[in-house]
Amino acid sequence: MRTKEMIKRYMRFSIVLMGMAIAMLSCKKDYEAEPLENVTIEYVFDPNDSLGTNALRFLNSMYADMFPKSVSRNRVDGNLLDAASDDAISSNIEDNEASRLAKGQYSAYDRVNSDMIWGDCYKNIRAANVFINHIDVVQVNDSKFDPLPSGLTVKRTWKAEARFLRALAYFELLKRYGGITLMGDRVLELGEDVELPRDTYEACVDYIVQEMDAIQDSLLAYPVPSPSRNSHRVTKGAAMALKARILLYAASPLANGENIDGSNPLTGYPSFDAERWARAAEAAKAIIDLQTYALEENAKEIFTRQYNKEIIFFKQWGNNKDIENANGPFGFGTQIGGEGRTSPTQEFVEAFPMNTGEPINTSGNYDPNNPYTNRDPRLAMNVLYNGATWLRTPLQTFDGGRNKPGGTELQTRTSYYMRKFMGDFEEASQYSEVQRDYILFRYTEVILNYIEALNEYSGPVQAVYDQLQALRQRAGILAGDDGHYGIPTNLSKEQMRDLIRNERRLELAFEEHRYWDIRRWKLAGEVMGKPLHGMQITQSAGMLTYNRVEVFEPGFTSNMYFYPIPDSEVLKNTHMKQNPGWN
Amino acid sequence: MKKFLVALFLGGMLFPLRWASGQETDSLEVLYDRAPVKTFLGARTTLVSDQLTTTPATGYLPALTGRMSGFYTQQNQGFRVMNTAVNYNVDAFLGNRPIAGAGVPSENTEYNISLRKQSPIVVIDGIQRDIFSIDPENIESITVLKDALSTIALGQRSSRGVLLITTKKPQAGKTRISFTAQAALQEPLNLPKPLPAHQFAYLLNEALTNGGNQPAYTEEQFELFRTGTDPLRYPNTDWYDQVLRKTAPLMRYNLSANGGGKTAQYAIALNYTDQLGLFKESPEVAYNTNSSLKRYSLNTNVNIRITDRFTLGMQIMGRIQDGNEPGVGTQNLLETLKKTPNGVYPIKNANGSWGSTSYFKDNLLALTTNSGYRQDHLKDVMANVDLRYDLNDWVKGLSVKATTNVAVQSLTGIVRERKEPTYQMVVGSAGDTSYNIMANAVAQNNDFNTVFNARYWFGQVSVNYERDWAEHHFQASLMGDQRRTLFNYDLPAVATNLTGKLSYDYQGKYMAQAALNTSGFNRYRPGYQYGLFYAFGLGWNIKKEPFLQDGASWLDELKLRGTFGKTGNGVDNSGYYEYRATFMATDGRIGSGVYSAGTERSELRGYWENTYLPNVRTWEGAYKLNVGFDAAFFGNRLQWVADAYYDRYFDLLQTRGKSIEMIGIAYPAENIGKTNIKGLESTWTYQQQLGDVGYFASANLTVEQSKVVFFDEQQQRYPWQEVTGLPMGVRMGYIADGLLQSMEEIENGASTVGYDAQPGDIKYRDLNEDGVIDQFDRTLISSTKPLIYYGFTLGFRWKGLECSALLQGVTNRELYLNDRAIHGGFLGFGGYEQAYEPILDRWTPETAATATYPRLTIGNSHNYAESSFWIRSGNYFRLKNVQVAYSFPASFTEKLRLNGLKLFANALNVSTWSAYKGQDPEVPTGAYPLQRVFNVGVNVNL
Repeated sequence: MRTKEMIKRYMRFSIVLMGMAIAMLSCKKDYEAEPLENVTIEYVFDPNDSLGTNALRFLNSMYADMFPKSVSRNRVDGNLLDAASDDAISSNIEDNEASRLAKGQYSAYDRVNSDMIWGDCYKNIRAANVFINHIDVVQVNDSKFDPLPSGLTVKRTWKAEARFLRALAYFELLKRYGGITLMGDRVLELGEDVELPRDTYEACVDYIVQEMDAIQDSLLAYPVPSPSRNSHRVTKGAAMALKARILLYAASPLANGENIDGSNPLTGYPSFDAERWARAAEAAKAIIDLQTYALEENAKEIFTRQYNKEIIFFKQWGNNKDIENANGPFGFGTQIGGEGRTSPTQEFVEAFPMNTGEPINTSGNYDPNNPYTNRDPRLAMNVLYNGATWLRTPLQTFDGGRNKPGGTELQTRTSYYMRKFMGDFEEASQYSEVQRDYILFRYTEVILNYIEALNEYSGPVQAVYDQLQALRQRAGILAGDDGHYGIPTNLSKEQMRDLIRNERRLELAFEEHRYWDIRRWKLAGEVMGKPLHGMQITQSAGMLTYNRVEVFEPGFTSNMYFYPIPDSEVLKNTHMKQNPGWN
Repeated sequence: MKKFLVALFLGGMLFPLRWASGQETDSLEVLYDRAPVKTFLGARTTLVSDQLTTTPATGYLPALTGRMSGFYTQQNQGFRVMNTAVNYNVDAFLGNRPIAGAGVPSENTEYNISLRKQSPIVVIDGIQRDIFSIDPENIESITVLKDALSTIALGQRSSRGVLLITTKKPQAGKTRISFTAQAALQEPLNLPKPLPAHQFAYLLNEALTNGGNQPAYTEEQFELFRTGTDPLRYPNTDWYDQVLRKTAPLMRYNLSANGGGKTAQYAIALNYTDQLGLFKESPEVAYNTNSSLKRYSLNTNVNIRITDRFTLGMQIMGRIQDGNEPGVGTQNLLETLKKTPNGVYPIKNANGSWGSTSYFKDNLLALTTNSGYRQDHLKDVMANVDLRYDLNDWVKGLSVKATTNVAVQSLTGIVRERKEPTYQMVVGSAGDTSYNIMANAVAQNNDFNTVFNARYWFGQVSVNYERDWAEHHFQASLMGDQRRTLFNYDLPAVATNLTGKLSYDYQGKYMAQAALNTSGFNRYRPGYQYGLFYAFGLGWNIKKEPFLQDGASWLDELKLRGTFGKTGNGVDNSGYYEYRATFMATDGRIGSGVYSAGTERSELRGYWENTYLPNVRTWEGAYKLNVGFDAAFFGNRLQWVADAYYDRYFDLLQTRGKSIEMIGIAYPAENIGKTNIKGLESTWTYQQQLGDVGYFASANLTVEQSKVVFFDEQQQRYPWQEVTGLPMGVRMGYIADGLLQSMEEIENGASTVGYDAQPGDIKYRDLNEDGVIDQFDRTLISSTKPLIYYGFTLGFRWKGLECSALLQGVTNRELYLNDRAIHGGFLGFGGYEQAYEPILDRWTPETAATATYPRLTIGNSHNYAESSFWIRSGNYFRLKNVQVAYSFPASFTEKLRLNGLKLFANALNVSTWSAYKGQDPEVPTGAYPLQRVFNVGVNVNL
């Protein structure tokens, strides 16, 4: 073959080949190099975003992620946290997270995940720090927002809200673990030293208190402008209430004087200081003195009406039947619903006085064969008992009754169902949606914090009596001839302490207070160290017989006053000290 | 089957050889090419059509079990799992929003497969595509490539080995038409054995009273269950009988044509598969509610010789696959079946309505037959064009080749679910019967979902130069390719490779090969996208040495070979641009928002810091060494192929050891792990033709072991807690020392915090002797012995009669009995779910000496903690596959004007011996069961 011919032939071929190669290698850029829907921090905190839209979205997510992560009262494996206290037990006889908490069936390794939160709180803290560190670049135009009181700017308010949410996460950690690592404003990246030691209990308390003091005047005050849009936001009252609560915890025996580990600064203060009670009382008093919050006349409505004057801070929930479906009495059929997951204990029922305010064991009116008549009206607000009207029918929680039929399905183990938080369904034919918020701070708690601290510091002074009477008056206790609502006069400090603690138990029942209160009072060992009871009611020939029976055996050892730090965190972090008794 | 016959009638003398061992004569399929057998240096195993078609199944994976050394399978479902779920989040404002980087879901939902403990890359006719759903009849050969040199051209995907599928190719000749029809019956194996209602009632009472609770049933009720005198209120329904058929059919039809002249050749294959599932149907329901699979596939290949130097190959492959299942979904139905006790409600109440209770709201039979149906529809087309141009008359030995492939794939789902109302029958004290509605009727809905849409493009150009200089054979090639996948909303995934190869041999006696590859992927951080990989191999054909040429006539072949290379495993594990710190809109918690504002509760939208910290993530690497030999003896009657390998995997993606949660965000996977995998593989084949009788026996054996070299394990308190140095995937837990027999034993032994042990509970060993059972007592409880698996194939033929059988087994495997429904029972929150026969062996004071299970309890966490108590041997040995076939003699078929006629029968999972009898050794309890399949068929050749 002649060379020329060959060149000619292969020229054509080479062009084709080159064309293919070019087509392959020099593809026009059709797509972005990195996905644009995954935005970067410059987009979230954009200096030109005068409405702060994306920054605000970031803050919204922080609200969504704050404790409790998923909004439900039945957040402990389908149970209330209070089902792990002496107020109630889980209706589920299987081992569940509430029964494990009540029995102390857990370790640093084998954790009760629904309440032993750790990483989630540090996620909240990190998010707050990201926000605090970056919000300053955004040039927010205040005139586009609801007018603010003088001295406030939108950005300043947002930043203060982020700092509150961060403090709330620290408080949830402190309550569970004692002193924990304070991160400051740092946002750690991969490769930075995360092997940080724990800070002392005292340092954590001081940090949260300082933070609250620093931000309280940067926040909206109650009532917020346009509650229809802003009622969910952190307010000055919320910051003050968190401060009051943490100071109360810090002044309580567990941290103050009865440290479970001698002078271990992680589990409390090394020694007692009565002034801590003074600070706690003062912080609570400051909220009362605002005179913006007040007791709701109808205590049931606190949980069924939005933004009532008692609510200080809450997590948004919604209009739903969640509480009724999960905890409503069993036996009304699947169309109405009610799984009866919570069984209040006999101990709890016995804590309610008579309607005169006298305890049942000292009152002559108490009839063991008719145990629910002439009782404190709050009993019926909290507990559904045999014979109580519910959904237009008297409840039957005697053995074999409609609401406690026996057999294989989940039902009360104590003959009681929980009533609290529910709508007024006594005379309704079925459940309907209830306006519901997950209340984290409310005014009644502030009052109870105040009188507890005040009594500890100053003894039962008149202010203590006055506030107690106000609570009992609201509760519907008979005023009595002396107008003291059954509160004896001239009580000793110790007697008053018991009365306040009992009042707190009744007022704040099922709101995740009792579980922590028996810890900070250092009573858990005693209270959770003995069997819990229910009522066994038997019916024969139309007569009811009441028998107090053991239903559950909790367990508690002194190391359980604080949860164990996750085993993995101790293993990975050479500076992380485990809580005493959890190695 | 068609191939079998083509081989039988056209293959002539070659047939027995191919039949037995799958050895091609002189060249074999390798990645992107064919290569001569005599100079091949890697580790591979090949199966040809005849070995695949004896297995009655809808895909080719079932045919591979036990036939290939180094290739391990475990079936985990007896039927394909349908996919009707959407691949996006629905957003009220923005419409459908992508779930980014979801990736193409695998077609293989029934088998866990591993090739030298890696998940192999499937290459089908030169294209990387995870296609498993192809009828074995359409496949010419399947080869696994296991070493570094054979797979290096895959670059970042070269670590995992290759499963190379070659469909039937055109062959010149007279037109040959082959038709095969097959019909099979599938029968479920090893179903769990539920307790009859009275035993359930008795044991539930026992479990309740053991925990100090009130019994649930009275003695009267127990008697009513036992005698069955009141079947409406005290029923005893064996739901497995009610819900499942005894057998289900499987039909397959194949039509193929093959032939052509000098200029053009073609091969066409049509396939129709119709498989029914095991669920019963109601005669009153007009439409199909049972699980089913219908597949239509077409594969055409055309080769055209345009000029003497220029050839063109074209292939079009298309599939339509329609799945069906009961409206509630197969998994859901199987779960309900597992948990519903026999005595909890009657199938139908006295008034003919469906029975139920408030806990078991749905009637199981109503779910099976009257819950509507759901379907998925797969449509799949791929087209290949291959161009080869021979430049021999320009530069001797030079040729170029170009391949391009486009493919589209879409999966859609239809959900037409409905529910019928169910009622609980209540008989009052006065004998009055009332019916309480438990579940409302749900009208049939009609949802259409696009599960995914994908587009694939692959292009490859190569230049090849091959030349002999005297006794020196030399070959060089340079190849570039790119693969783009466009999946749903994702940005395209682009993988690029450039590979150069050199190969040299002297007289076919000394061989050396080397390859260099650079490979990139666009979803890694810029600067970390590319990797450099290499491999080389050496071979020595000793038989060609003069000292073995004479005098060693018993030895026909002896070739030593070895390869070593650095390979990569990226692309599939890249994640979706996960190296960046990004923020995502995280809505959908409250309506379409993340939180709500004010008393109006108007929805607020959110942004979250994404799950990952900024990081560097790139491909994983491996150094792979393989040495082996190929030997043949006694006139090629005995062949022996053996390989040993040592693979070190490094830069494995793992979370760092110090992933401390206080950082407040999830840690990303980083390239830190190191693992060794080593093994031995050997295959022996003996075959002989004695007059009319031909027979063969083949055995393969694999031993494999792994070792975790580094995974950034933190300093454990006790040495027995350490995992580094142990094989991959070991199980840690407590060591169980039988059952506690007395209170004294409990008081003197270690305790578990918060748990009051009773006689009959499991006794755990207190390794650190602190009196408490906790995490410090957890240690290795699984075996560390190397996994061994093996297979035997045997066959003979005599005139037109052929028989073959495959036996296959696994040793040093363990099962962990973690299905608490089966091994504990009475689960549920608000009701007590079904219990099964194993718990009859529970501890009671009377059976204390012989009990093999702990005492019965409700929801006990102590006895079901991870411990050696629940470990059983997972060894098994199956008669996996047998086939008998008869081909009518030519003298007979000629009268019918046929080229061939064959009748055959075969079976799958014929018989199993397993060390633990309580469940199937492969398919876990509660999954769609394993099936025994009996199949008959006919093949006609025109």
